[in-house]
Amino acid sequence: MAALTATAPARPRKLLASRKTRVGILYALPVVVYLLVLFVYPIFTTLFLSLKNADGSLTLHWYAEALTGVNLSVLITTLRISAETALLSLVFGFLLANAISRLKPLWAALAMLIVVVPHFISALVRTYGWIILLGDKGLVNETLGAMSVPGAPFRLLYNELGVVIGTTSMMLPYTVLLLYGVMRGVDRRLLAAASSMGAGRVTIFRRIYLPLVAPGLASAGLLSFILSLGYYITPALMGGPNQTMIATLINQQVTKENQWNGAAAQGVILLLLTFAGLLLVKLVSSLGASRKKRSAS
Amino acid sequence: MMELRKTLAGRITLTAIATVILLFLALPIVVILVTSFSNNAFAAFPPDSWTLGWYKALFADGSKWPAALTLSAFVACLSTVFSLIIGVTAATALTRSELPLRSAVYALVLGPLLIPQIVTALGLFLLFEPAAMLGSPIAIALGHTVLASPIAVLILIATLRGIDERLEDAAASMGASRLTIARRITFPLAAPGMIAAAIFSFITSFDEFYISQFLSSVDTVTLPVQVYNSLTFDIDPSVTAISAILIAFAILALALVALVRWLGSGRQNSLLSVENTAGIAAPGGETV
Repeated sequence: MAALTATAPARPRKLLASRKTRVGILYALPVVVYLLVLFVYPIFTTLFLSLKNADGSLTLHWYAEALTGVNLSVLITTLRISAETALLSLVFGFLLANAISRLKPLWAALAMLIVVVPHFISALVRTYGWIILLGDKGLVNETLGAMSVPGAPFRLLYNELGVVIGTTSMMLPYTVLLLYGVMRGVDRRLLAAASSMGAGRVTIFRRIYLPLVAPGLASAGLLSFILSLGYYITPALMGGPNQTMIATLINQQVTKENQWNGAAAQGVILLLLTFAGLLLVKLVSSLGASRKKRSAS
Repeated sequence: MMELRKTLAGRITLTAIATVILLFLALPIVVILVTSFSNNAFAAFPPDSWTLGWYKALFADGSKWPAALTLSAFVACLSTVFSLIIGVTAATALTRSELPLRSAVYALVLGPLLIPQIVTALGLFLLFEPAAMLGSPIAIALGHTVLASPIAVLILIATLRGIDERLEDAAASMGASRLTIARRITFPLAAPGMIAAAIFSFITSFDEFYISQFLSSVDTVTLPVQVYNSLTFDIDPSVTAISAILIAFAILALALVALVRWLGSGRQNSLLSVENTAGIAAPGGETV
């Protein structure tokens, strides 16, 4: 190498570049091969299985089955619960992120700790915590009873309310983190400028603040919607028979009924819904970026 | 800088809202920690009397928990090793070399984090079932690596981006070999990030439920699957104790990551006068 540098000063540069490329390919191989074999290939297997008849011919039978009768109502339930979860975690996430972004740095850091730490604790464990809290004799009902709220104890478990409470608490860290980042990026001087020109609080919020954080709100809502779609643990443990979601159905078909083709078709439907959601997220963020560029110029 | 005037009423509402929502996040965790020491493991909060009985029951004869704990720890260790190997190589490729199709590789790495885990689990089931590998700890570890390695890659990319390449170049200019540079410069500076990547890979595998559920057999039940089973089928009060241990474990791991980052954060600054801490974010921040 040293000798080469001495004789031909122009070549080593190119040699170095191609060497860098070769090293890059070599180092990228493990991850690429691993994920192609254990992630991409299995997804294609699922896709083929969902299109295959018992005799090996191609069919859309499994999709037709997945989109009719009970299976269709499970799909609709999944979409409904995900939408409710997304809406609630968006509202609570907005309120909390907004509050944290105005706190003093020390308090904000502490609050963010309470947001982030639960995210790293098993969802199964947190769901169990909710089951203890929301039972007929749990803390929530006992407190409401002690305050002699009419109607207490409420039925908070094994129905849709229970599931939505559970899934919302699982999605909340995502929305808070995303929105907190967006809100920290809002230039406070814009709000002060509007105020100095006589705009009221409501006007500032509606005309300045909301448009600035809108793309973040949309991405956070979509993201929690997508993540809820494939959720299994909380709906299965905190819901009743009417809250069966698509992931539960896939699990049942594989482990109990040996109905792999049907499960594969539902998996592909779930995958397509996820892709559609991700595409929307991308669209929204590019829209937001172009708007930001416009307002800056 | 001018700020919007803050009203007292506004401040009180703000604090009240933040407190209620933070309670909503923290309560499920606090309630488990408290209930695990309670005589009545299922209801009555706050407890009437205290006990360590559930913790003792975990290790009583005939308990399923020690086997599940051992299996989960073994699987998590394996998949941490796999994830670190994949993570170090991939992060090197993505930050320190010229890689064709870089964005495609990046998208492939992000894939497992974005796609519903149940779909990944179903695919792995269809892969390992014909190979008669259901119930094999190796298969479960390989499956967990699909989810854990992207996290390791992302953390290590942030770590390597945070290391000033001029330090490596300077060593090279003074005649250090590639191996010496890796051993004496890059590795010591990347060590905190590698420990963080290892801890997060371990937690990911240790808490993973979907893949374990699909790939487990009667004899190989990981801890999360056992927790799920005892919540659905046989209500076993010691599940509160194991949940509390899992919480303590997660908090300990996060504290460890924070500690390692804090210890490591000063290292590079003593070598460089130019501040360069772009890759050293708050603990856990980059995985989200």
